[in-house]
Amino acid sequence: MASDAPQATGDFLPSEDGEPVNAVEAAKVVQSPPPEQPKSIWTRRSIIFSFWAIVVCFGLPLWIRTTTVYRADLPLRLMQQWADGLTCQFEVPLHVVVEAPGVSPTVAERLAQTLEEYYNEQNFFPIHRLRVTLSDLPQYDDSLQSPGSDRTSLAGASSNTVLTVRLKPSESESTALSRLDPYEAVLDVYYSPQHLETTRTAESHTRWPFSDTIVGEIQKVFAEEQATLAHLFINSGSPVKIDHLDEILYPQRKEKLARRATRSFKYAPVYHLTFSLFTPAATPSAWEIKAALDEYLEPLLRSFTTISNFTIDTQIQLFASFSPSIHGPLYNAESRLWTLQKTDLSGFINAAEWPLSPSIGEGPTINFILYVPGERGTPLVIAETGGTSWLIPQWGGVQILNLERDSGDRSMLTEADLKQVVFTFADQLTSLLGLPTSPASHALRISSLTRSHTISLILSASSTLGSLARLTQKLPQISIPDTVAESVDMTIHHLESACNGLKAGEFNRALEHARTAEAEAEKAFFEPSMVGQVYFPDEHKVAVYLPLLGPVAVPLIMAVIKEVRAWRAARRKGG
Amino acid sequence: MACNPRNTFPGAVFNSRERSVDLYDGVFGAGDGLGLEDVQRNGGIEVDYRGNEVTVETFIRLLTDRFPSSYPRSKRLVTDERSNILIYMTGHGGNEFLKFQDSEEIGAVDLADAFEQMHEKRRYNSILFLVDTCQAGTLLPSLRSPNIIAAGSSKKDQSSYSHHADQDIGIAVIDRWTYYNLEFLEREVTSTSSNKTIGQLFDSYDPLLVHSDTEVRYDLFEGGAQKARERRVLDFFGNVQAVEMGGDTEEEQQWREDLVGLKRLIERNMQAREDAALHPLLSEATITAAEAPLGLLKKFQVVSAKATSGWSKGVGGAMALVSLGVGWSMASYFEY
Repeated sequence: MASDAPQATGDFLPSEDGEPVNAVEAAKVVQSPPPEQPKSIWTRRSIIFSFWAIVVCFGLPLWIRTTTVYRADLPLRLMQQWADGLTCQFEVPLHVVVEAPGVSPTVAERLAQTLEEYYNEQNFFPIHRLRVTLSDLPQYDDSLQSPGSDRTSLAGASSNTVLTVRLKPSESESTALSRLDPYEAVLDVYYSPQHLETTRTAESHTRWPFSDTIVGEIQKVFAEEQATLAHLFINSGSPVKIDHLDEILYPQRKEKLARRATRSFKYAPVYHLTFSLFTPAATPSAWEIKAALDEYLEPLLRSFTTISNFTIDTQIQLFASFSPSIHGPLYNAESRLWTLQKTDLSGFINAAEWPLSPSIGEGPTINFILYVPGERGTPLVIAETGGTSWLIPQWGGVQILNLERDSGDRSMLTEADLKQVVFTFADQLTSLLGLPTSPASHALRISSLTRSHTISLILSASSTLGSLARLTQKLPQISIPDTVAESVDMTIHHLESACNGLKAGEFNRALEHARTAEAEAEKAFFEPSMVGQVYFPDEHKVAVYLPLLGPVAVPLIMAVIKEVRAWRAARRKGG
Repeated sequence: MACNPRNTFPGAVFNSRERSVDLYDGVFGAGDGLGLEDVQRNGGIEVDYRGNEVTVETFIRLLTDRFPSSYPRSKRLVTDERSNILIYMTGHGGNEFLKFQDSEEIGAVDLADAFEQMHEKRRYNSILFLVDTCQAGTLLPSLRSPNIIAAGSSKKDQSSYSHHADQDIGIAVIDRWTYYNLEFLEREVTSTSSNKTIGQLFDSYDPLLVHSDTEVRYDLFEGGAQKARERRVLDFFGNVQAVEMGGDTEEEQQWREDLVGLKRLIERNMQAREDAALHPLLSEATITAAEAPLGLLKKFQVVSAKATSGWSKGVGGAMALVSLGVGWSMASYFEY
């Protein structure tokens, strides 16, 4: 019989229905918590899910956006093609105008035709192509002709004319066959009637020797330019093929060009000219340099306007002493001259004390120094040559002026004193600007310089594009701002215009485009914000992120793992 | 350093405890330009960057010339493909880094990248890179641009030491490797036409005196170790200006006539241009006029593209401000 009251004997028999009968027993049985309601499971899972959703949908994109380096899209393949020289076929058409007023139109036409034919068929330098036209001016009167008349400025009727060939009847047999005008781009050719005879029986396949000689003269005019361009193409590694290389670039010419390249400044749209007067004594303390420059140097600078602009500054420094590193002038008793050793010339300019080469602005400064020795130190010459001037490559020129006056008049240098000085400076300036020396006409030299500058700027801008392309590929962690992409687009646009301008024969416009292309390419490459300081070794990255994200990540990850395990266990039990 | 408040000799920096040469002092013979009777001091160095300007960023900008266009030319490294550059770095350093100013360091990889950029832009012909720090040789393996001769004062896990201290100033005044470099230059390179080579310079280091092993890298140089060791020390340490003698007087005479003639020509051209400006056939003036609107049009396009993006940014900013303001006012409402 079951009894309700506990037995006094202490028998711990469990009751029939499994319920614990006293406190000790109750402690032994582990009571499981009530099973979770589905609602709370779902709440927990959605909380974990929402945390992860914020991390993935909001946090991760934000982190990626704020830590990736912004790199604008650059047309790398096109840039590389420009750098390899595959996009621009260089062609320099030379427009020549023939003026033959005293000659019948058919003969003049034939002359123009044969000139073009004979020049282009020898194909000596394929980049130069001749295009000959006849000028359509009315016959001019010989009596009106004045030396260097101004007709050529209107004669070609276009600014693309490179050379004008003017035929004149020769007065006597002894005159030279041809003569280049020293200032303008005009080749005067003197003919006598028998030279034109061949065309009376004009068959298109008989060779005209007169035309051949003129072609030879034209070839001589452009010979140095061909050498300069060949030198440029070879030095830049351009794939342009140049035949007859040994004839165009024979050793002396090559050396001359190399010296010119070392000596002359790189092309810049603006040059700053500085004229300084240094003297170790108190006099001369004034000079009429402005008048002298306006009178004698201004025309030269004006002739360069299509290429570059110039600004002029002047200064005087009194009590200027030599640098202690040179020996200084030595008195030579026999010739009664003070002489400077050649080794002293490099240290002549006391760069520490003489105020030179400031940064006036963008563009290089060309310094011209006039040194007037003191009364006791006059006359001062260079020992070996006896000359008084020298040139410092890519820097400027120095000249010594020995005044032959007594102390009373020494305080001012007049324009007459400075005339010869300015002429020497002008000579040094043209050497420093790289003006070629060969065609004897100044205008031809300037136009030749325009063309060689255009081509060298195109080559330089293209190689900068190539460097930029290689750089962006080699340094993947450097940021590339939008301005660089814009500059690259502008560079390519201007390069194409420059190339087309060259082909069309509009050299001044081509130079402007080439100049802009070079400026934009340099701006793109030397972008100030592209400083490569963002290299972090991986240990740094771990060291920064771990303390920040570790404590946050651990609970999230552990929660997911636990949840997944529980879900799998529930599925196994249920399924 | 010279103006550091702890410097016992203000404004002066010496390279040895004898204090015979003040590096900042440039005293030159006065004279009247005829000769030098005064004592020649060898100081007078020019310092372009000092104090707080010396940072890693400035150094890398200097090497790669990434400055805004308004930056003065005298503070830039204006070099081209014919320049030889000497880079001498000394101070504290370690495994693949060098310390700048107690607060930052330049890594070997950043340095190598800077040299690579210089090579890309053809800013040097050859570089002599000398480093005097602890474990200086570890900076060398990352370099990868051609035509660099690099030397470090000590190998990996080796320290470089200072030479001696000046008791009055209270710190060491020169490091050992630098001291022996200077001794070579003062003793062997005696004039501006000296022919001492880099190989002789590197061979003159005695590891027992320098207390560390110099690590040198020749493989980047064209021609390898042999050509590198044959380069003259003065190619890098000296700066001798080349000079071209003036032309003869015949050319000057020619120039006189040329210039006078040119002047007349220019005047006549100007006159002709004024006359021709009324002439309808002259095409030059019309060409430039036709060009102008195209140029302006292009410019307008660029400007307007920028303007629209600024507008959208303004809207985004305004919305952010408004939402923050609403949030703040709601929070303050709920607080009460």
